[in-house]
Amino acid sequence: MKWSLPALAALLLFYPFILTGPFYWDIGVAFLLAAISASAWNIVGGYAGQVSVGHSMFFGVGAYTPLLFYHLWGLPPVAGVPAGMLVSLALAVAIGMPTFRLQGHYFSMATIAVAELIRIFVGTWDLVGAAIGLQGPAVGRAWWDLTFRSELPYYYIFLAVLAVVLYTTFEVERSRFGYYLRAIKAGERAARSLGVPVRATKLKALMLSAVFTSVAGSLYSIKTGFIDPESGFGILVSVQMVIIAALGGAGTLFGPLIGALLLVPLQTATNTWFGGGGSGLTYILYGGIIVLLARFEPGGMHEWWQRVAPRLMRRSHAA
Amino acid sequence: MLLSAQNISKAFGSFLAVRGADLAVAEGEIIGLIGPNGAGKSTFFNCLAGDAVPTTGRVLFDGIDVTRASAEAHARAGIGRTFQVPATFEDMTVLENVMVGAFLRHHHRGTARETALRIVEMTGLARQSAQRARSLGTPGRKRLEIARVLATGPRLMLLDEALAGLTPTELQQAIALVRRIHELGITLVIVEHIMEVIMTLAQRVLVFNQGHVIAHGNPREIVANEAVIEAYLGRGHRRRREAP
Repeated sequence: MKWSLPALAALLLFYPFILTGPFYWDIGVAFLLAAISASAWNIVGGYAGQVSVGHSMFFGVGAYTPLLFYHLWGLPPVAGVPAGMLVSLALAVAIGMPTFRLQGHYFSMATIAVAELIRIFVGTWDLVGAAIGLQGPAVGRAWWDLTFRSELPYYYIFLAVLAVVLYTTFEVERSRFGYYLRAIKAGERAARSLGVPVRATKLKALMLSAVFTSVAGSLYSIKTGFIDPESGFGILVSVQMVIIAALGGAGTLFGPLIGALLLVPLQTATNTWFGGGGSGLTYILYGGIIVLLARFEPGGMHEWWQRVAPRLMRRSHAA
Repeated sequence: MLLSAQNISKAFGSFLAVRGADLAVAEGEIIGLIGPNGAGKSTFFNCLAGDAVPTTGRVLFDGIDVTRASAEAHARAGIGRTFQVPATFEDMTVLENVMVGAFLRHHHRGTARETALRIVEMTGLARQSAQRARSLGTPGRKRLEIARVLATGPRLMLLDEALAGLTPTELQQAIALVRRIHELGITLVIVEHIMEVIMTLAQRVLVFNQGHVIAHGNPREIVANEAVIEAYLGRGHRRRREAP
């Protein structure tokens, strides 16, 4: 177990050299993006137990802002990343202030409603391309446009961002803030009685989560060079974050990583097998995962592994 | 007075759960609150702990009005409480539960952990400190709630049936623990059904019935009080006693 973290780091670092070629690199990039988004969601949804199903609003803001900077002023898209983070931060405050008066399902429903309203609004707003969306530079003018022919540079940029998100989450987990988040998840009334500032703590978690989700959105749009309301603000974007975190283990450091490791190759496989004919398959896949998780393993694969690993160790020692 | 609750009433719609209750607690006292089920003890308790805002009346803590202050503000002021049904953080370990309390006065992980370790030792939970709270039985979880509150560094602790459901041996250990807490200079208000606890620990007792405080005095006076006997055993009991 002591070597599991260095082994994981080495695997991620050398993956493009182990499985070479654009197909595998593309899967690697998709995996990293899913892991970043789900890890960002995990801060508020996993650790604090505030299940947002509207995180696409931050992803979308992060995705649109870089391309909007290019579209309006011809600036390199990466210049829009900090602006996206700031707008997401402001959005998190605006959403969090009223909705954190709500608890449980009500908070989740409020986040869905706000995200859907934003998606519909963006879909009719000409400045951001309405239903057609926005495009980035077709051909890179310089390296700072970050338009690479190969997937490889994206892989390492995404990996660096994932490392930052995971390290921040690790620090959060060990800090007073992290303990407060877990206490709030376990019981708000009891947490309050111990002096935990519940609403302020939840709001801080949402702000941090929103900023990282926004960065994930920016990475997505910079890499693909295109964004439209559905791929930025669509409900599937939010649901994917929730499912990946829940599948791996919400409220654990590596849960979202495990979830992404399972789901992304599965999605790629179904897309490869069924192509365009399986466009509704994603919904079926997500639905199936929700049912299986709720029925058999609500704690996700991380908890399952924690339960199973000691038994396997004992068995191997006995043998 | 450390705590002074004056003319507290609490209504839920048209139902008046507490009707004009008063309580004054001096620093270093142990006060018992008793009464039949549904008498209004827990509602009154919630008003003292900041979990409910009284409909009328006010609560002063160390001279400061905390009537409308939040539960968090109560904890920061030095009022700690336990819950009738233990509300431990189930997926966190015993030590982590106590650390959540300790973080109120110690912002750094190291000092919070040191404080929590000391309190876990004092409350007899050291052996279970690495276990998840969900693995503890009811007595352990009640003890953990006390430990967690203790870690917040309270001046006043409100214990809501913290000793209920214990075996005779566990009860004696819990009474000893409450005594130790009192020796630390912490003032205690205890809601309890077990008369042994009240008779052993409380210096003064308040008796609630139907939202009113019907009696107030030392434990010996209370057990001999006719109104208290009637509240617990009904009017028939008095008629039977008066019958030749």
